[in-house]
Amino acid sequence: MQTNLPTTSALRFRFVTVLAAVSIAALVTLAVPAHAASNPGFVLYSAQGYDHAAVTAFNATNPGFTVTLNDNSTGPLLEQIQAEGDNPKWGALWVDGATAFAQLDQAGLLEKNSVPKVSFNALGAQNVPTDGSYTPTGLTVTGALCYNSAAIKPSQLPTTWAQLAQPQYAGALGMNDPSQSGPTFPLIAGVMDQMGNYKSGSTATAVAAGKKFFGALAKGGLLVSATNGPTLGAMEQGSINMAIVQSSACYGDELNGSFPSIRVKYLNYSIALPSAIGIDAKQPAIVRDDAQKFVDWVMSPAGQKVMQTGDPQGDSLFWPVLNNEQPANKIIPPLSTTNAVTINPYVWGSLEPTVNSWFDHNVVQS
Amino acid sequence: MADVTTSTTPAARQRRTTKGTLSLGGIAIWIVLFLLIIAPVGCFLSLAVSPHVFHQGPQWFTLKFIRQAFQGYTGQGIFNSLWVSTLVSLLAVSAATTLAWLVHRTNVGARRLWSVCMWLLLLMPTWMMTLGWTDLLQPYGAAHAIGLNTKWLYGEFFGPLGIVIVLTSSALPFAYFIVSAGLQGLGPEFEDAARIHGAGRTRTFATVLPIIAPALLSAIAISFAETMSDFGVAFTLGYHAHFPLATYTLFSAISNFPANFSVAAVIAGVLILLTIPPIALQSVVMRHSKSYAVLSGRTRSPRRREFRRGFRYMTSAGVGLVVFVALGVPIVGALIGSFVQNLGDDTSTGVHFTLSYYAQIIHPSIVDNGLGSPLLLSNQLGLVVASGTGVMAIILARRLIATHGGWSQRFTDIFLLGSVAVPGVVLGVGYIFLYNLSFITHHVFDIYKTLPLLMLGLVASALPGQTRFMAGPVSQIQPSLSEAARVHGASRLRTWRTTNMPLMSRVLVWGWLLTFTKTISELAISQILYPPSQEPASVTIQSYLANFQSGTGTAMTVLTLLEMFGVIVVALGIYRLVTPEGWRRTGFSVVH
Repeated sequence: MQTNLPTTSALRFRFVTVLAAVSIAALVTLAVPAHAASNPGFVLYSAQGYDHAAVTAFNATNPGFTVTLNDNSTGPLLEQIQAEGDNPKWGALWVDGATAFAQLDQAGLLEKNSVPKVSFNALGAQNVPTDGSYTPTGLTVTGALCYNSAAIKPSQLPTTWAQLAQPQYAGALGMNDPSQSGPTFPLIAGVMDQMGNYKSGSTATAVAAGKKFFGALAKGGLLVSATNGPTLGAMEQGSINMAIVQSSACYGDELNGSFPSIRVKYLNYSIALPSAIGIDAKQPAIVRDDAQKFVDWVMSPAGQKVMQTGDPQGDSLFWPVLNNEQPANKIIPPLSTTNAVTINPYVWGSLEPTVNSWFDHNVVQS
Repeated sequence: MADVTTSTTPAARQRRTTKGTLSLGGIAIWIVLFLLIIAPVGCFLSLAVSPHVFHQGPQWFTLKFIRQAFQGYTGQGIFNSLWVSTLVSLLAVSAATTLAWLVHRTNVGARRLWSVCMWLLLLMPTWMMTLGWTDLLQPYGAAHAIGLNTKWLYGEFFGPLGIVIVLTSSALPFAYFIVSAGLQGLGPEFEDAARIHGAGRTRTFATVLPIIAPALLSAIAISFAETMSDFGVAFTLGYHAHFPLATYTLFSAISNFPANFSVAAVIAGVLILLTIPPIALQSVVMRHSKSYAVLSGRTRSPRRREFRRGFRYMTSAGVGLVVFVALGVPIVGALIGSFVQNLGDDTSTGVHFTLSYYAQIIHPSIVDNGLGSPLLLSNQLGLVVASGTGVMAIILARRLIATHGGWSQRFTDIFLLGSVAVPGVVLGVGYIFLYNLSFITHHVFDIYKTLPLLMLGLVASALPGQTRFMAGPVSQIQPSLSEAARVHGASRLRTWRTTNMPLMSRVLVWGWLLTFTKTISELAISQILYPPSQEPASVTIQSYLANFQSGTGTAMTVLTLLEMFGVIVVALGIYRLVTPEGWRRTGFSVVH
């Protein structure tokens, strides 16, 4: 009896056919998300840890359009915005620090009067620009003194910034590099502002005072690492005992259990670092309207709640800027204990490249 | 002895008559290269002297940024990159040649394992290598936990020594696979001839080695360019050791706001120009590549040297040590980093193991930011990019080794290897400058921030390296094979399918896997070009690492590497199932 057994080649052919079909099926899901033809929605450029949660929650309210998210670190987002030039793709930008927004505003790229009519608390109100070109959505502070409580007692800590340069703290202090860490330029600018008692006009005296201070820290063995991770890691390893960084970084390390003995002290001042959101003025009206609806939602109780729960061990550890809102976690002390001051981002923002360059050449490489 | 084709075939004569002119195929290739690499990188480089072209400054023409780039810190970075890349490429190719010879031509123990380890090494990003080394050597790190005092080594490692070690480890597999392919195309007849004429083992080695000169030079060129363009080590070890490398100074120039794209463009230009000397050397040799055409349908399997038992053990242990230093140390460090909660904590007692970081992959601490969908998307991208790159790389590799010369080949050569030296961030930003031009988005096509553009960017990133990966093996296929098929009436496609493809099937599969895995771990281009709300896995992992969640980020990295390894196993299994046995015996392979 003759049977029709498939040959090896025929089997291979069938296998390859099935494989090709599976591959095509796998690629079918690569479809580009469809946009509503009548309303394109907008792209949110954001560096916030809770942005995924915020976008998902907002889209679930069925506003009639879709917000899509470009989630990145602040640096790559600003690079993209600068490279996109006069053909921008961002509808709104949401990052920490007001200095970048001030520069975008000065370049005419931000929609004016976009701040929702909400009840800001005192520090929140201080961070609202007069032309309403961006909205502070929350607040952390930079220049918090994080320390290893297992290596140094609270009573041994300095109480003022000036004391950090004293000999007993030589080799014990660390901070981030402003060229790598977004919140560090506002810290340096804030110290310059305070050391030089800056009020208005030329910043030359304040910059000189700040350079003198950081120069002294460098001579005292200031350890500069790229970002929060390596800086706090150096403290964990015992290379340093204290670091001046962003408050949420310290609280996050304590909460997630990676550095149980980390604690935070606030010196005679810290620098307020608002998370801010601004709308692209170059977009069509419909896109700007969509972005405005999102900003309004962020500042609503629903939006604030998502901000406080979306990244519980990271960016959600902020102080609300609205009256009647409280911090999400009890680890965060009252804002008044931080002695937070606000710098003028329109004055200091344009100095970022020159100050950072000076810092890299004179402090990082010293 | 393998045939050596004369240059009097009809095809060769026809090629001579067309020398200096551009065929339709050549034009098509140049159009593709232009859109993928030349135009985007050119846009970026133009900022070096003309920032106003893309509204990045007021000057239409200036040399100011060229002067800036060669001063102080950035100038030091360029110098450091040059000597480090030269040293690393020589070290990597020397080590890889020795290793390849031991694995493919001797009875050294665990040969299959060493080849698999080279592949794993190829998959590992340099930043992860550095992370692993740091976790192991840092004060109160993994080595401390097992009672080893590594403080002295930690200090040494964070300097040029550590940089050279990690970069050599990174370049080693590139060189290994290329040299392996060359060695496998080399039948035993050449060694036999040398031995018959009285040469000892060393003399035989020295006699036979130049025959695989195309592979060696290709390995040196790739190692040099890959080292020049590496960012992971520059950003970690280089930064902490205050030892600037060019890629770091480039990044530094654009990390402020506003970014100084012009200085970055000068540095990128220098990185490209520095690859010309190794290209020139390779081109000179490859232009005479018929002398090195040794692979044919009659190439016999090489015979292995039999070491005596004691020497075999010693050699095996030596290879094992090299592989452990290159691969084992960073893997151990990364694994420990993903399982230990108090690594590097000088205040704790003992090591506290935890599975919480892995649990957070399933239940992410950042809401709506899990690894599942991004990893699926990355695999889909890998499938498309690896397949597209594979096809294009074969076409380009064939052009690259074509012997009829002409400016087209020379420029292809320069652009391809020069592109290997271009950091991903330059390509990514160049894509924005070009494909987001108002004229293009409004009148040609609007693909900025879409998956197709991300795929093009990833293909452009992978194509130069993949082409160089293919160039060595392609150069060793004798043209007589395809010429015979053509004389007997076969079409071009059939000729390639029946002659070249069987000989190259293994290298095609491994090349595909190389691009697939590199696509999944690629970050620089992905984070600039990914479409909104469609994050690839590398971007998701980076968001954890940058957001005080390094443990979770490391666990995600380990899981992604495991998934990639699974794909490799499946792909090789499929290859085994669908190819005739003869294909697996003939031609090139990197794992026996």
